[in-house]
Amino acid sequence: MSRLEAKKPSLCKSEPLTTERVRTTLSVFKRIVTSCYGPSGRLKQLHNGFGGYVCTTSQSSALLSHLLVTHPILKILTTSIQNHVSSFSDCGLFTAILCCNLIENVQRLDLTPTTVIRLNKHLLSLCISYLKSETCGCRIPVDFGSTQILLCFVRSVLTSKPACMLTRKETEHVSALILRAFLLTIPENAEGHIILGKSLIVPLKGQRVIDSTVLPGILIEMSEVQLMRLLPIKKSTALKVALFCTTLSGDISDTGEGTVVVSYGVSLENAALDQLLNLGRQLISDHVDLVLCQKVIHPSLKQFLNMHRIIAIDRIGVTLMEPLTKMTGTQPIGSLGSISPNSYGSVKDVCTAKFGSKHFFHLIPNEATICSLLLCNRNDTAWDELKLTCQTALHVLQLTLKEPWALLGGGCTETHLAAYIRHKTHNDPESILKDDECTQTELQLIAEAFCSALESVVGSLEHDGGEILTDMKYGHLWSVQADSPCVANWPDLLSQCGCGLYNSQEELNWSFLRSTRRPFVPQTCLPHEAVGSASNLTLDCLTAKLSGLQVAVETANLILDLSYVIEDKN
Amino acid sequence: MLSSMVAAGSVKAALQVAEVLEAIVSCCVGPEGRQVLCTKPTGEVLLSRNGGRLLEALHLEHPIARMIVDCVSSHLKKTGDGAKTFIIFLCHLLRGLHAITDSEKDPLMCENIQTHGRHWKNCSQWKCISQALLTFQTQILDGIMDQYLSRHFLSIFSSAKEKTLCRSSLELLLEAYFCGRVGRNNHKFISQLMCDYFFKCMTCESGIGVFELVDDYFVELNVGVTGLPVSDSRIIAGLVLQKDFSVYCPADGDIRMVIVTETVQPLFSTSGSEFILNSEAQFQTSQFWIMEKTQAIMKHLHSQNVKLLISSVKQPDLVIYYAGVNGISVVECLSSEEVSLIRRIIGLSPFVPPQAFSQCEIPNTALVKFCKPLILRSKRYVHLGLISTCAFIPHSIVLCGPLQGLIEQHEDALHGAFKMLRQLFKDLDLSYITQTNDQNGTSSLFIYKNSGESYQAPDTGNGSIQRPYQDTVVENKDELEKTQTYLKVHSNLVISDVELETYIPYSTPTLTPTDTFQTVETLTCLSLERNRLTDYYEPLLKNNSTAYSTRGNRIEISYENLQVTNITGKGSMLPVSCKLQNMGTSQSYLSSSMPAGCVLPVGGNFEILLHYYLLNYAKKCHQPEETMVSMIIANALLGIPKVLYKSKTGKYSFPHTYIRAVHALQTNQPLVSSQTGLESVTGKYQLLTSVLQCLTKILTIDVVITVKRDPQKVHNQDSEDEL
Repeated sequence: MSRLEAKKPSLCKSEPLTTERVRTTLSVFKRIVTSCYGPSGRLKQLHNGFGGYVCTTSQSSALLSHLLVTHPILKILTTSIQNHVSSFSDCGLFTAILCCNLIENVQRLDLTPTTVIRLNKHLLSLCISYLKSETCGCRIPVDFGSTQILLCFVRSVLTSKPACMLTRKETEHVSALILRAFLLTIPENAEGHIILGKSLIVPLKGQRVIDSTVLPGILIEMSEVQLMRLLPIKKSTALKVALFCTTLSGDISDTGEGTVVVSYGVSLENAALDQLLNLGRQLISDHVDLVLCQKVIHPSLKQFLNMHRIIAIDRIGVTLMEPLTKMTGTQPIGSLGSISPNSYGSVKDVCTAKFGSKHFFHLIPNEATICSLLLCNRNDTAWDELKLTCQTALHVLQLTLKEPWALLGGGCTETHLAAYIRHKTHNDPESILKDDECTQTELQLIAEAFCSALESVVGSLEHDGGEILTDMKYGHLWSVQADSPCVANWPDLLSQCGCGLYNSQEELNWSFLRSTRRPFVPQTCLPHEAVGSASNLTLDCLTAKLSGLQVAVETANLILDLSYVIEDKN
Repeated sequence: MLSSMVAAGSVKAALQVAEVLEAIVSCCVGPEGRQVLCTKPTGEVLLSRNGGRLLEALHLEHPIARMIVDCVSSHLKKTGDGAKTFIIFLCHLLRGLHAITDSEKDPLMCENIQTHGRHWKNCSQWKCISQALLTFQTQILDGIMDQYLSRHFLSIFSSAKEKTLCRSSLELLLEAYFCGRVGRNNHKFISQLMCDYFFKCMTCESGIGVFELVDDYFVELNVGVTGLPVSDSRIIAGLVLQKDFSVYCPADGDIRMVIVTETVQPLFSTSGSEFILNSEAQFQTSQFWIMEKTQAIMKHLHSQNVKLLISSVKQPDLVIYYAGVNGISVVECLSSEEVSLIRRIIGLSPFVPPQAFSQCEIPNTALVKFCKPLILRSKRYVHLGLISTCAFIPHSIVLCGPLQGLIEQHEDALHGAFKMLRQLFKDLDLSYITQTNDQNGTSSLFIYKNSGESYQAPDTGNGSIQRPYQDTVVENKDELEKTQTYLKVHSNLVISDVELETYIPYSTPTLTPTDTFQTVETLTCLSLERNRLTDYYEPLLKNNSTAYSTRGNRIEISYENLQVTNITGKGSMLPVSCKLQNMGTSQSYLSSSMPAGCVLPVGGNFEILLHYYLLNYAKKCHQPEETMVSMIIANALLGIPKVLYKSKTGKYSFPHTYIRAVHALQTNQPLVSSQTGLESVTGKYQLLTSVLQCLTKILTIDVVITVKRDPQKVHNQDSEDEL
């Protein structure tokens, strides 16, 4: 019986946001996430102080999963960001910074939480309907017919993660690989409902990044000795595959709840082995070439199969079962007798391969939506970071396939959006307020807080003391290096905007992002030729960013709405 | 260690406890309420505006507090709503009671309560008060609900007979409910979602059974998905099981399913039996037999068009394999709740693998519209299109949110809403005691045995009242005539000598104001009274009651007029009325019922109405206990709208609203609410009774003894009455 203990009473605190401790906690958290943001973001080293695993990262997913957060309010924030990242992979830091900024900016205002929350919600729906509308000036259509824009996508993801430690050439190489891996997962003759395949990432640490490669099919890692024992198959036609999910080790399976009495002298092991060998005979008569087993194959059976020129590979593991089923078209066999002929699948060919110090058994599919991405990097931490980045990039491509639009990256979307909201709240406040109880002054205050929160997100892209400007026509972001001479000639100092769509040769007016500007209408409706000509754009995933925006505002609203914190001390 | 509290102290202690709880819950009550963040011992965070959850999360130590929390949770279990209001109301009641004991210190207390307070100090027994509360709750409250409040009730149904529900009224009801339960930026969305769900799940003939089903299986009917914005929540036709297929075979057309509760594959031995293996060949044959048998069963299922096998246990690999070979999809390891939900929807009993095979049809199969995997945020679920055989059309709610704590809050609120609707769709039985007349009508309230000379003073009094009364609106003429006759009857009433002696000195002052009826001030006052008269008249006609009962009421009202014109006299008059009561009345038990679907507009309407009628009742009731209890409850009721209107200013502030409402009641106009939305009367009524029961419980305790023993034992004892 478990020991019963009286529950300790909980700790109840009112108005949690006003306390100094919460403010400092939030500002520390904000400093951590802001400094990580963007291509020039600073890396964080996470370790426990007793040796062991060290993680060097600037990605929100790695950072937050290693951080130990105890304060309940911060926990809300980190949990919702982690949940967002696990469903969209991208825009975690953006969400975190925006949420912190919103909370901070609103706290300075002397407005009731009801008003703030209501207006924040209005502004959020304004942003979302704009970003989804046809007239939106900061999104471009994605054409899956050309690789250029897709490469831009992948490159943007890779460059925003400095902890991968990639050179420019390596970035290009890995971007191309990721794109190839993604394209391999798309079925060739897809009609209507597309089911994407899978890219399996195979680790190969300690190699040069340039050695990374993509192969169709599945790689099963094996020791060299094992691999030597496998006899080469020479066959012109496809190979017949049997995939077992049940154990072939001769264990006696579940015998029921009652007792089984075995008489003296009866050897169940022999009986079981007999059964296995019968199975082997059936496989031979069915002309199976390759036997794969998720669990263990009895050595006798293995040898028996090898004698009959059947390759037997066991201990595949559960993770590879689904891709294997998909690739070979088999039905995982759970029976030790009477196998239905429909259960067998096929592969085009098999071969052995050696990459770095590792040996692999390579299954080459007939027509595949399964591919293996062999990923190399110099050390463990950089590899881990690169793997996360590749997964993010693949996920971003998948999301874009569902919703073929991209947002302009490099901070241009944020500044453009802020300019749009400022303009809208100044010129058409009635349409936002509608029948609400809030006044126009309240709207102006909150809109300013909201816009400056958006703008300080992109402000944190700059880590080297440079200045950030915005133009008064498109509302895009431009950055100047720290040591450049004062306001001399902007067009000479600025070459390109953040996303790379516009250059400074146009007649533009600039102003500092921090200074106050009169509201202007940012130019909507992108010219199509502009998009076509630009080759090196920085792009963001629309789906991920929209969700990040929503999660940031919703979470900020949630935190601002708290009136009590009840901490369970048990 | 023994710590004890004196009787009076227990109210004080309870008040202190309740005030602390009130401070916490009042911040999240009503549409302006805010969120509370609770951390679980596991470190997870939970957002809540659910009073019950908050109280539990506090892990209170104080024995009275724990008792209150117990009462709240048992109330919640039944109704799913009202935990916060419970605490606020209880707190105000305790304040009222506390104020009686030291009314000298509290100048705000109204005069007559003071007098009663003294009266109560003399025979000060909290137990008596608790007895009076209980009497009030069991005998009087229902009567007030039935006789006075019921005429204000609206019905949620567009047609009361068939209990059909129109969407707009359900929306109003739900919006008001979710206002108090979820964050303010989500309540509209969630109430729309609930509304959609409700109408999608209901068939036209489905009644309360659906609520019971949804309430019982709510956990199985919704799926939480973290990481998506709340606005992605939606309703999916069919049932979503939080499992993945063990094997999935796409199928369309005529899909049949079976439910199994044990492994399909026969095993060597069942529990309690013994299987003796004598040779290796025997082992092999039995294994072979098992294999063949399993294959045969699956083939048989296949031949019967069964394409889906739902199992509450894990099936062996062999079964899964043969299912896949035969094109049967398998879902394993379902919880017993999930299985029983499916069985209730489609009315299917489990399939038992037959011992011997015949080609006959399997009896326990059901048709399924579709069965396919559903992917929500890269997690796979089983999506079943069950064909319902009951009134419930299966739909699942997918709840999205940035974090689990928020999803749980929404889930909780939706579940509570179904509980609330379940209560609302039930008729509520009311039973109470009237003390005005008895069946044969021989003795009315003011008729006494010793008939002597006719008593003149009330007669003149009535005469003066009669005058303004005759001036009332023309449309009530018929009634007026009747009234006049009753008043005449009353004037001929006889009263005992003894009573005369006591009555005369007091009745003189009461008559003095009647002389000044002609002045403007009193005229307005009178017009007020007049309206009240007609007010009372209405239900009587409606109820088709006998002349006697009408007479009884009439007399009471005239008596009440006297009271109103001379408040100071009231306290001293009460013993008299008390005496009259004892002598003159006989009790009759009435029972009626409140029809299902009674609602009132939100914003404290119920409380203000009940407050108003309780005060009226208190004025004319004849027992000091009753008067006091009614007054205390009436005043405490106002505490709830006060909290609700806390943030409102100007025209919408509480005093304005209150005055408007009372004025509307006095002039017999419909009440105008500043807020849209409806709330269930049943819920409010149940809340009121639960609070009164809780208060009774608190009052009956006089000593709390802390015993140092095992904690669970302490827990058992503290809720018992330790006397």
